Amino acid sequence: MSEIGKTEAMPLVMPAGPGITPGIRAVAIVAVVGLVSAVVALTAGGYWLSNFTQAYCMALAVLGCALLYGQLGLVSLCQWALVGVGGWVSLRFYHYVHPPFFVTILAGGVGASVIGMIWGLPALRMRGLYLALVTLMLAGAFQSLVTVISFPVGGPGLLGQVGASGNDRIMMARPIFASSDTAYFLFVAAVTVLCIFLVEAHRRTKPGRAWALIRKNEQMAIAAGVRIVFYKAWAFALSGFLAGVAGALLAGLFGQLDASAFPTTNSIVIFIGTLLGGYDAWLGAFLGGILTRFIPALLIALNVNTNVGFMIFGAALLFALRDPLGLGGQLTILAERLYKKLRAQDVS
Amino acid sequence: MIKIDALTVQFGGIKPLDALDAQFVAPICGLIGPNGAGKTTLVNVLSGFVAPITGTILLDDTLLLALSPRRRVGVGLRRTFQQELVVDELTAIENIQAVADHVSGDRASARREVALALDFVGLGERRNTLGRQLNLFERRMVEIAKTLIGRPRVILMDEPGAGLNEIETDRLRRLLIEIPSAFDCQLVLIDHDADLIASVCIETVVLDFGKRLAMGPTRAVLDDPVVRHAYLGRE
Repeated sequence: MSEIGKTEAMPLVMPAGPGITPGIRAVAIVAVVGLVSAVVALTAGGYWLSNFTQAYCMALAVLGCALLYGQLGLVSLCQWALVGVGGWVSLRFYHYVHPPFFVTILAGGVGASVIGMIWGLPALRMRGLYLALVTLMLAGAFQSLVTVISFPVGGPGLLGQVGASGNDRIMMARPIFASSDTAYFLFVAAVTVLCIFLVEAHRRTKPGRAWALIRKNEQMAIAAGVRIVFYKAWAFALSGFLAGVAGALLAGLFGQLDASAFPTTNSIVIFIGTLLGGYDAWLGAFLGGILTRFIPALLIALNVNTNVGFMIFGAALLFALRDPLGLGGQLTILAERLYKKLRAQDVS
Repeated sequence: MIKIDALTVQFGGIKPLDALDAQFVAPICGLIGPNGAGKTTLVNVLSGFVAPITGTILLDDTLLLALSPRRRVGVGLRRTFQQELVVDELTAIENIQAVADHVSGDRASARREVALALDFVGLGERRNTLGRQLNLFERRMVEIAKTLIGRPRVILMDEPGAGLNEIETDRLRRLLIEIPSAFDCQLVLIDHDADLIASVCIETVVLDFGKRLAMGPTRAVLDDPVVRHAYLGRE
């Protein structure tokens, strides 16, 4: 005898999200990033503090990459190049008008956002491997271009270069309240939290719902009235913005940027970090970003060739293939189960 | 009312729809035919995903073929797909809200319409359940609720009963009958289940090889020997 609802439920992959309210999620974001940052700020010195600052910038880039892959299923392999675009624009803007540091960060974000949206145009027609290859070519093109034109160092003209001696180089100044390495690291951590909030706000409101429909089925999304081009462009713009902010923060960390720091391979590493961390949870992007910087930094500290890092990432990808939720997804499940258990005990 | 004149769709040497003339006038109309008759092609033409080489389609006074798929949504055309397309990561209410975001007038009316649609399909208590945790019947209900948002004028439902058991199909039947009066719209039902069509649809169009085989009151159409031979395989 058949009954209503006796058809099999879909397999449970992750526990239901609804017990976790936006407020609780916000507290969790501040608590996790705050705790990690406090431990690093209290224990790490020059080398590791610099690397963790860079790791947080990587996390912002991964956050953008995860947004595209997790929300729309789009593989973008030009994320590190967009970090470079953000760095270039912020340095150029800084040397032109010497704005407050926050405005410099915004300029880097907006600049990379515009370029990201333009680079995302192929995504209107392609997906999967073809889109990945096109974006990888764009990253390669950026590497070639920035090697020729270099990053601005305060000179005249659009490119902002100085003479061969380089004596006239001007460094980008950090904000007054974050002039020390530790204070700047904590400043970057605060910006990271704000960016995670920005993405979470998108994921759980109108744009996030539109992206979910598009990822499920584009025809269904159109039949629901969704403007496909607009929402795809929006996702690329937001992803580019996050990369641009990361680029501006890196420029603030070092005071200047070097073209050799923006190889095409780093965009692939960013995507690997996205898969390892997990693309469906903010924690995945945070952990993925840290891993992509922490492992090379550890290899350097141990005097091991940094190319070994690629072997480690390759091996770790096998883990990612077995578990698409990634490290962040698994930890999120554990945390949610723990929270629900504690709440159930409170009620009883 | 939907009025179709001389509609022809051609894919290479094949014509899934061949100079089709048909009208859907009654509040609930059926569209049936054997596999390959052109039913889904017609739904795709109506919703704008397939372009015909000739013909016209009128939705009341609106020339439908001149509008983009999204603009057709704007004039009140809604549809479901053969395969249910509930987003696993969104809750039942979020799946419906995702449609309301784009077709409802403002936030207040969107909230009202979503709540009404959820209650209408009986998912009020399951509103916060993730898509992946809903069973097939509930997922079909979410799909129907999505079409009820934003003052629909015509809803095209492509096999909404696929995969449902007898009791679930019976509940679906009762729900479908109530839709036109509850939401002041027309329902066009595409299904293989002749019993469902017979019990729900007032008028029915039968397609075969892209042409209209029969059109009229459902009982008379289903009793037509030509239809029984072509569609049911017996006279």
